[in-house]
Amino acid sequence: MKEIQELIIPEDLKYTKEHEWAKLEGDKVKVGITDFAQDQLGDIVFVELPEIGAEFSKEEQFATVESVKAVSEVYMPLSGRIIEINNELEQSPELVNNSPYEKGWFVIVEPSDLSEMDELMDKNKYLELLKGEE
Amino acid sequence: MEGQTKFTPLFQWHKSHKANFSIFGGYEMPLWYKSAKDEHLSVLISAGLFDTSHMAGILVKGKGAKSLIQRCFSRDLDNCLKNNGPLCPGRLVYGVFLSEKGHVIDDSIVYQVGNDLYFVVVNAGMGGTISEHLKENLTDPSTDIIDLTDKIGKMDIQGPNSVKIMFSCVKDPDDVFSKFPYFSFKGFFDPSQDLDLIPKIQLINGKNVLLSRSGYTGEIGFEIYCLKEDTKDIWELIYEKGKNYNISPCGLAARDSLRAGANLPLSHQDIGNWPFINNPWDFCLPWKEYKKEFTKEFIGKASLERLIQENYSTYTYPFIGKDLRKVNLEDHPIVLDDEGKEIGKVLTCCTDMGISLVDDKVISICSKDKPEGFKPRGLCCGFVKIDKQLPYGIWIYLKDSKRKLPACIVKDIRPDRSARKNLKEFI
Repeated sequence: MKEIQELIIPEDLKYTKEHEWAKLEGDKVKVGITDFAQDQLGDIVFVELPEIGAEFSKEEQFATVESVKAVSEVYMPLSGRIIEINNELEQSPELVNNSPYEKGWFVIVEPSDLSEMDELMDKNKYLELLKGEE
Repeated sequence: MEGQTKFTPLFQWHKSHKANFSIFGGYEMPLWYKSAKDEHLSVLISAGLFDTSHMAGILVKGKGAKSLIQRCFSRDLDNCLKNNGPLCPGRLVYGVFLSEKGHVIDDSIVYQVGNDLYFVVVNAGMGGTISEHLKENLTDPSTDIIDLTDKIGKMDIQGPNSVKIMFSCVKDPDDVFSKFPYFSFKGFFDPSQDLDLIPKIQLINGKNVLLSRSGYTGEIGFEIYCLKEDTKDIWELIYEKGKNYNISPCGLAARDSLRAGANLPLSHQDIGNWPFINNPWDFCLPWKEYKKEFTKEFIGKASLERLIQENYSTYTYPFIGKDLRKVNLEDHPIVLDDEGKEIGKVLTCCTDMGISLVDDKVISICSKDKPEGFKPRGLCCGFVKIDKQLPYGIWIYLKDSKRKLPACIVKDIRPDRSARKNLKEFI
């Protein structure tokens, strides 16, 4: 298990209390799970992603990650429509462990209300949350 | 589990090797170190080292020892080896302790150490329960029942390289490994016991061990028992020697997925407080003829005989999924038939990362007939308890609150296991 100071928490992302991240790219938002989440889950062996075009509201479950030990849900950081999914994860789910913020992204969302991004935590707030979970 | 969390003598070692921990049987145990998947695979292709010091041992010693175990344990000690031979010093046997109702109190391995000396190994936290159960049924007061809970150390080395590694750790290895069949043992951890019927085993660091050719993974290897104070030295010796053979320390996650793939039950999950019959492990009842007659008197016999007469129709079966997806056990998943009718519940559901389905056949990373370039993707497997008899090969569904997954009832799960192979192939 990583110590808090070992966790990677990029400055330019927003975070949820369920340990998803959201990254604004133009007017789209890329979504994945945090370094803390992948470390807690252990080896991720399967990722179930939604169909392109599917719509979800904020905090709705949109994906499932399966580790050796458990099956866990992944929730939407904000409302919107799925416009792209990371097909690499089908063959290489371990990318979520090895590269949670880069190669291990889950989906790209076309947000229905971009202002929902402001409701998410920044790095410092997320770090506070993690310290509380210790 | 009530009471304070306990720690094995290796806790600090696990901590310094960055283990992820979980409470199991009241003990803080490593769940995995770096990767449960890699740990699982290491046992199939190289070697894995497990801390199993949370398990409990009980010594049963004296003139009444044999008759007490005969009454309380499911195996017939006079008739439990191949060719119906009796248990003898240097041999061990797997079985269960049953209640009068024929329910499982715990499963166990019984080692015969001397003519009137047996070493009974049970699960974490069960040393007290089984010791009390034995004492309640004791008729000869000269027989001693000594609960060794937290007084001994135990570790398991499992996998094809485990033989070479232990070969480099013991004194006189040629003697030790010359004749060492599956489910036999040599040596004893307590040098103060005066033993003449089994050979003494010392490691190159001078420590005494009981070296048992057994394990809980389905793969070739050893369970090693030692004095509690020797545990860390022995672990470090094996780990150092094992580095030449790609040894991995392994946690409980890999232990659970390996044992499920090897068709072995987890006590209090796959066997427990219900009748011990109609399951893959009821071979360890003392059958004279299966479901007709027993060879001896034992606690639970009358209830099992009555259940057989009444055609008790609850069955436990192994299953495999179609891919590696699981249902969530914490969600109390149920079993549905193909018409959607509830027919049972899921006892164990995990992923054996060493196998995959290839053209509807389960292939292991160890299978000789695996296709070229085969990389196992993992396969969901486990055990289901069904309220009727089902044929092998039938498809059912496993359902939790989120998923409904197809699964196939099978006789066995991971093919091409090495546990019973000739030791000489691995030296």
